[in-house]
Parts: sequence; structure tokens; C-alpha cells
Amino acid sequence: MSALSAVMTREARIRATNLLFIFWDLLYPLGYLLVFGVGINASLGFSTGDASVGYNAFFLAGVLAMASFGIAANTSWSFFLDRDNGIFYEMLTYPMSRSEYLLGKVLFNVLIAVLQSGITVVLAAVLLDVPLRPQGWPLLAFGMIVGTAGWFFFYAVFALRIRRNDAFNTVTSIFYFVFLFASSMFYPLEPLPAAYRAIAYANPITWHVDVLRYATIGLGDPTRIGLEAAAFGVFTLISFGAAVHALQQQE
Amino acid sequence: MPDTVIRVDDLIKEFGGGFGMRSKTRAVDGLSFTIERGAIFGLLGPNGAGKTTTLRILTTLVRPTSGHASVLGYDVARQSRDVRRHIVVVIQEHAAELLLSVRDNLLTFARFHGLRGTDVRRRAERLMDDFGLQSEAQRKVQDLSGGYRRRVQVAKVFMVDTPVVFLDEFSTGMDPILKRSVMSMLRREADRGRTIVLTTQVLSEAEDLCDDILIIDKGRQVARGDLNALKLLTERIYEVSVTFDRPPNDLDDVLAAFHPLRVRTSQNTVHVALKDQEARALELAMALAARGHVLRLEINGASLEDIFIELTQKGVPA
Repeated sequence: MSALSAVMTREARIRATNLLFIFWDLLYPLGYLLVFGVGINASLGFSTGDASVGYNAFFLAGVLAMASFGIAANTSWSFFLDRDNGIFYEMLTYPMSRSEYLLGKVLFNVLIAVLQSGITVVLAAVLLDVPLRPQGWPLLAFGMIVGTAGWFFFYAVFALRIRRNDAFNTVTSIFYFVFLFASSMFYPLEPLPAAYRAIAYANPITWHVDVLRYATIGLGDPTRIGLEAAAFGVFTLISFGAAVHALQQQE
Repeated sequence: MPDTVIRVDDLIKEFGGGFGMRSKTRAVDGLSFTIERGAIFGLLGPNGAGKTTTLRILTTLVRPTSGHASVLGYDVARQSRDVRRHIVVVIQEHAAELLLSVRDNLLTFARFHGLRGTDVRRRAERLMDDFGLQSEAQRKVQDLSGGYRRRVQVAKVFMVDTPVVFLDEFSTGMDPILKRSVMSMLRREADRGRTIVLTTQVLSEAEDLCDDILIIDKGRQVARGDLNALKLLTERIYEVSVTFDRPPNDLDDVLAAFHPLRVRTSQNTVHVALKDQEARALELAMALAARGHVLRLEINGASLEDIFIELTQKGVPA
């Protein structure tokens, strides 16, 4: 436990050296919602088949998942920073297991993600009239925790295996494009062609977004949401195992 | 605590060879040695000899291909976390938390070793005094010069009391005064029972500090022992040093007749290493002395540098 708290404290201290960064982390999903969500809502109109759901409400889960995805990518990128500083290899000689190192590294950022989702949901209600759904908040917190951790472990596999920063940036850009747009993040999947829909349903970010959407506005079939949550849990565990293995292979 | 702190048996480490991409390189080739508690153990060798790889295996950063290594009885491959609980490491590369202040670097490091509280803070303050870092305590390490970053890195060794310390070329980038001071601190730590394992390219450093030396080349042992034992391996090497009031002009002819191993001149002093009978060393001293007004004359046995060059050039015994 002390190793976990040591890594977590280290991450917190590093992040606390740049308060602007934390401020940006906490508020940028709301900014995205205001700029993108309001624009789409006003100019294109929107229908989910449920007249009570506006685009701002629909898109809220999308920006939360996007924020979680972004935090995970940034956290995994810090492996490159640590490697450049030399501290990465020194840390591998500290008295902790590789899994504690990974978990500790993501814990602080998971807290940021949860705090960020809370702020975004409340301000979305105040500024954009997105209805609050307190009964979904435990699921929302769970979705943000598992989601951020899952994506971090997934990215960590690549950050640890790819030694070149520019190559890793290319990989993250591809992931952003593929995962975010071939998913239910920006639009409902039902009206889409069957092939596209099949791809989107195989995409872990769809599972993540759908759970968050159910948590925030109650949209979706509970059975399917349960399956998607379980699938994302498996994705997280596999990614964690692969990341620990990648960390053990560092020589 | 056992007296044998580190045990290495027939250690082999190979790199490469995966999927036929490149041929295998054997960085460590059957090393075996032990290190006793409280020793300052020097691992020496030319570039690429396998020093850093050996150190990386002992510090659990690299897994051996075969053989066995243990620290305080813990197997480095199978009980790596137990090993890490008992060691502290200064790696060859500069390693520091660049975004944290000097003070936070020390405190964060201690926290990783399960230490926090007033005593730890007090120790950090004392170390910042010892390492000339007090005026930089609040500055982020990224704003410091390379030499100061190295100080922070080495100071961390003294934040904790782990029984084994590994230092991979710790003095790189350190000024001579601080280096002396750190060497004294390391000696004190060894006297307290901590075991220090170091690699260095600066042989005078190993000569001053180490009471047990292993010279390796191409991953294999070339020689092992304390300085005196190593000197016995190359007993016919002498160093003649003569200081003149003015440097003579015609030394080359005199020196050529003696076929010296090495000649080094600093200001008015000439240092000549010679591999020959004792009488020839005396002859050389007299021949040099005849070339000018001598202020100082010394004849010494082989330095560690001479031993190192002699042994590593001779090659690894088959």
C-alpha cells in the first residue's frame, strides 16, 4: 500500500507543479460540450428517437469518455518523459512491484477524471439544462475510474513497447481517429449502416460511452449496458496484464 | 545479516537474437563472485566489458539468461521485489524528477522506501547542506546544471539505510571537491556495514576507494582481489616520476632506450611506466636525473591504471 501511495503522491506532486494544467484538465470537457455540443444542437438538430433527449445531454457521455481517453493518453505519454529524465529505470529499482507502479501512476489521474466528470455534469446541468440523474452517479464514477484506468493500461502497452516518442504520437493519433469516430461518442448508432454499426459495437470506446450515457441520462437497454460494462472490464484486465508484462520486459 | 551479501554463480546474459533479427551478443559470460558485508567492491573493465549489465542484473533491471545471482540471499530473478527492498541504486544515466524541487526529489525518494516524517525531512536538510544544494532546495531540478542534477541523484543514496548500495559511475559530472567528500561518506557507510558496489572508469577513484576489485573484459573475469593482490599479478611494472626545475629537451632519446609502457608529462614532471626488472627502473631514474636539476624523484609499483591496461590488453584468459 505504501508503494501505491508513494507513486500516487509523486504523480500528484508533479501535476501540482502546473496548476494551469490541472485547471485545464478539469474544465476542458465542459468547454468541448459548450463549443461542439451547443453548435451541433443549434445548427443540425438532433433526434435519438426519444424526444426528451437533446444533443447536449446525449453528447455529455461522449465528452466524459473523451476526457477519460485523453487523460489516459497523457498519463501513458509520461513514460517517455520519465525515460528521458532517466528516472524511469531508477524507479524500476524501487521497492515496488511493476503492477503497483502502473496502478499508482493511474490512481491520481483517475481521481482527476472523477472530479472532472463531477464538475462537468453539474455545470452541464446549470449551463445547458442537461437533467441531473443522481441515481446514476455511482455508475458514472465507476465508469470514469475503470474507463480511465483501462485506456491508460491500453496506451501503456504501446508507450512501453515503442521507444520513439514520435512513433507513439502517431499511434495515439490513429487511435483517436479510429476509436472516437467509429463509436457512439458523437451520434447514435441505430440509424447507421449495419457494417458500420457492427464495427462500432466492437469498439471498446462504444462500451465505455454507452455505460457513461446510461449513468448520466439513463439512455440505453440495461441488459446491453451490463454486457458492455463486462466487456470493458475484460478489456481493462487484459490491457493491465499486457502493460505489466511490457513493464517486466523493460531492459 | 549474512556476511556474504552478494553471490553470483556462472552468470550469463545474452542480448538480441530474437526472430533472427541480429546475432546474439553475450554481455556477461559466466561471471562468478561473492561480495562480503561492508566491502567497497569495484567492478572495473573497459567500455563494453559488461559492468553495467552485471549491475543491472544485480539491481533487478535485467534478467539473466542463465546462472544465478542473489542479494542478501534473495534471488534477483525470482525475488526481485525483496532484492529491491534492500538496495539503493545510482544508475549511469542522469536520473532525477525534473519537474520536482530538489527537496521534493529527496523526500519523494524516501517515501518510495517507506520513509516519511520529521526525521526524514531533517535528513534531507542535512544532505542538502552536505551536497551544497541548500540554496537550490526550492528550485525545480530541470532548472539546475548537469552537475547539480548528479548531486541530487547521488544524495538520494544517503536518504535511506538500505544495506546494499549500487553506484554506476557515480562521479560523472562531479567536481573534485564534492567527489572527495562523497567518497568519504561512502567509506563511512561501509564502516557502518553497508555494502557498496560500484563501477567506474576513473581508476584512481577505485584505487582510493575499493577494498575489493573485480576486473572484467568481454563479460568474463580477468582478475580479482584487493589492490595489493592485483599488483602481484603485474609485479614487474614500475612508475618512475621525476620533477625537474625546468623540463629537459632531450628526453625522447633517453626514454626510447627503455621501451616504456606509457609516458605522461604534466608541467615539469615526467611519469614513465616501465615493465622490466627493478634494476632497470633504477637505471631509468638515474638516466632521467642526469638530464636536469631534479626537485623530486619517485619510484612506485604499478598503479591500478597500469594493472588495468596490462590485464585487459592481455585479453581474457581462455
